[in-house]
Amino acid sequence: MTFDGTDLYAALIHELKNDLGLLSLTIDGIPLQGEAAHDAPVDAARLLCQNVVDRLQQALLVYKAGSQPIHPAIDAWSPHDAVHEIRDRAAALSRGRIEIEATLAPDVPEIWFFDRDLVEMALINAIHNSLAYAQSRLRIEAGMLEGCLALTVRDDSPGYPDAILAGAAAGSTGFAKGSGLGLQFSRMIANSHDNQGRRGEVRLHNDHGAVFQLLLP
Amino acid sequence: MPGDSSVSAPAARTGNTFIDYSALRALVVEDYPGMRNALRLSLTNFGITRVQLAANAAEAIYQVKQKPYDFILCDFNLGEGRDGQQLLEELRHSHLISLETVFIMVTAESYYEKVVATAELAPDDYMIKPFSPEVLRSRLDSILLRKRAFRDVYRHFQAQELEASIAACDVLIKSQPKYLVDALRFKGELLVTLGRSEEAEALYQQVITLRAIPWARLGLARALHLQQKDEAAEKELRDVLEQAPEMVAAYDVLSDVCLAKKDALAAQEALQQGVAISARTVRRQQKLGDIAHANGDLDTARAAFSTVLEKGRHSVFVTPGDFGNLCRVQLEQGDVAAAADTLKKNKSTLQDSPEGQLVMAVAQGMLHAKSGDAKETEKALAAAAALRASGVRGDARLMLDLAGTCMASGRHDEADGIVAEVARNAHDSEALLSRAKQLYDEAGRADAGAAVLALATADVRKLNNEGVVLAQRGDFSTAVDKLLTACAEAPHNPRIMMNAVWVILKYLDKAGMDEKMLEAARQHLNEAERQAPGHARIAGLRLQLKDVESRFGIQPKNRS
Repeated sequence: MTFDGTDLYAALIHELKNDLGLLSLTIDGIPLQGEAAHDAPVDAARLLCQNVVDRLQQALLVYKAGSQPIHPAIDAWSPHDAVHEIRDRAAALSRGRIEIEATLAPDVPEIWFFDRDLVEMALINAIHNSLAYAQSRLRIEAGMLEGCLALTVRDDSPGYPDAILAGAAAGSTGFAKGSGLGLQFSRMIANSHDNQGRRGEVRLHNDHGAVFQLLLP
Repeated sequence: MPGDSSVSAPAARTGNTFIDYSALRALVVEDYPGMRNALRLSLTNFGITRVQLAANAAEAIYQVKQKPYDFILCDFNLGEGRDGQQLLEELRHSHLISLETVFIMVTAESYYEKVVATAELAPDDYMIKPFSPEVLRSRLDSILLRKRAFRDVYRHFQAQELEASIAACDVLIKSQPKYLVDALRFKGELLVTLGRSEEAEALYQQVITLRAIPWARLGLARALHLQQKDEAAEKELRDVLEQAPEMVAAYDVLSDVCLAKKDALAAQEALQQGVAISARTVRRQQKLGDIAHANGDLDTARAAFSTVLEKGRHSVFVTPGDFGNLCRVQLEQGDVAAAADTLKKNKSTLQDSPEGQLVMAVAQGMLHAKSGDAKETEKALAAAAALRASGVRGDARLMLDLAGTCMASGRHDEADGIVAEVARNAHDSEALLSRAKQLYDEAGRADAGAAVLALATADVRKLNNEGVVLAQRGDFSTAVDKLLTACAEAPHNPRIMMNAVWVILKYLDKAGMDEKMLEAARQHLNEAERQAPGHARIAGLRLQLKDVESRFGIQPKNRS
């Protein structure tokens, strides 16, 4: 982008993000009344609001990174805590509409090294996507794959369209509307994690639904 | 513990994970009323019913002084006044919150979050705004469980039983893989505090083998610096700053390393880089001002000292001496009007304490001397002399300023007395002694100055050296006499104080309990810490003092 005064845009996004955050908290405070005519639109508004907040947060990060790679702040975190935090966020977003599960494979270590905030941003992207398309179930998994910590979001939707899978396989980022930005962002995050020459990856495939996988070396 | 199995069923790995939120006392610090209430609501929703609200740092400090809190949720940006990081630093520095208190910082920007997370005094966690209540809840859960696991570590630490605290870390390191890295981190800081820098080096290397995390590399650099391996320390720091340029604490250590290498310009540059990232930390600005001043870079020194006063308004880290520092630089720049303005604007603050009044008198003396008003100069010097006679003292720089003005007004005896006192209290500080010498050179009294300085430092040096030698020979009783005499002559000299404490403890160890001596050791150690906070020897002496106290079955008095 070559707008003049792009800092203005950053400041604007920033402010919108905070206002929407407040709006989201306000909507959260509206009690459900057990009547679909009331509850459904409130719920839809809440989800949409949260989605926009998360997206703006990513937009800010991408904007700040500019053409440079993201610098992750790596520290030791518990994959167990991270998975459960994401599960709780997903459950709060879905409010019982979709069943949320979390599983950890036995060989997942107690700690792993990654940038917690970035990794959660990437996963929450996938969650929003799954919540939009899943029929009834969403599962968050942690396991070990090729020596990496693999964080997986799996749903029972009709799966990713072929165009997205093909694009993902080719490493292209300019595919599909809507999810394109989110995927591109997740890939940037995965890529910014490296350890002993090995870089993080995002993998997509279909297996009785869409499977989003983030590999952290 | 069932928790040390690497198998994963969540219930099996953590043992008792029940947290009674209804028993928790929480404080929300946030300047925006809408957000403040929303946060309170969130906390109430997950069972925390005892929630207090504060709109700014001053209110928060007031609340914390009224009663203890288990959890403080604080916005980084608090509008006018101190920000969340400054609040945290003050709370910890003044021992208003303990290690058990959970402090979570809320930041609006992911960049600040990085700075906050890598600050020397980091919060327990940070949340990027806006966040969902579930995330807050989940993070609070993990932190509370971690603090529960660290209970013994913290308990011993707070009782100043550092060895026992290290042993408790070792238990965690062995038995709780989830807290391995946290326990190593805490242990590393303890080892550095105790001056066990070789062990600290090995520990940080161990963490780096797991992954080269920036804080571990910073710890390694600090451990290397303590062993005077400054080349290696500098390399590590420059390297880690490439990887994590926002890690402000690394610039502070880098500046220490550069000073040790006698490269004051590089030390200044390092601090300037740190200040560029986080301008608000008062102590970093103070240090930058000092170094820039010594480097003759008056513009930078002035900017730094001005920032100290601007950003540090109401901060516990700002002392009357900071006003003196700014005035000194302004006068050295020949900007008499600005110095007068500094004094005028801060008059009421300075009048508040005797130390402030002394700064006022000394600065006014310099100012009037500079503008050639002999009568007003005399008046200011008389005020300073009266304050000094009643026992009021300023920092060494300020006292030398006073000596300079006295000398310029022909009050030679008074000047000599002040310089001698400064020299006795800083018999091993090259910078201060050379500044004192410069005063005499400028006044054309080089010979007189040499005599004053030689005499003042010789006494203290002699008593000190004799005391230490006697102690090494095992004659602790005479050694104590010598060093206590030295203490009386140089009541603010940290080196002498520390030697005296060391000798007294040796003496008690041999001769048995002597309540008066023990009290003297306590007082001198406190004074040493006031004069040289964070000096490498202090923690070790505290430990020995503690040892002696517990051997004689004495409950240590509360230090603060």
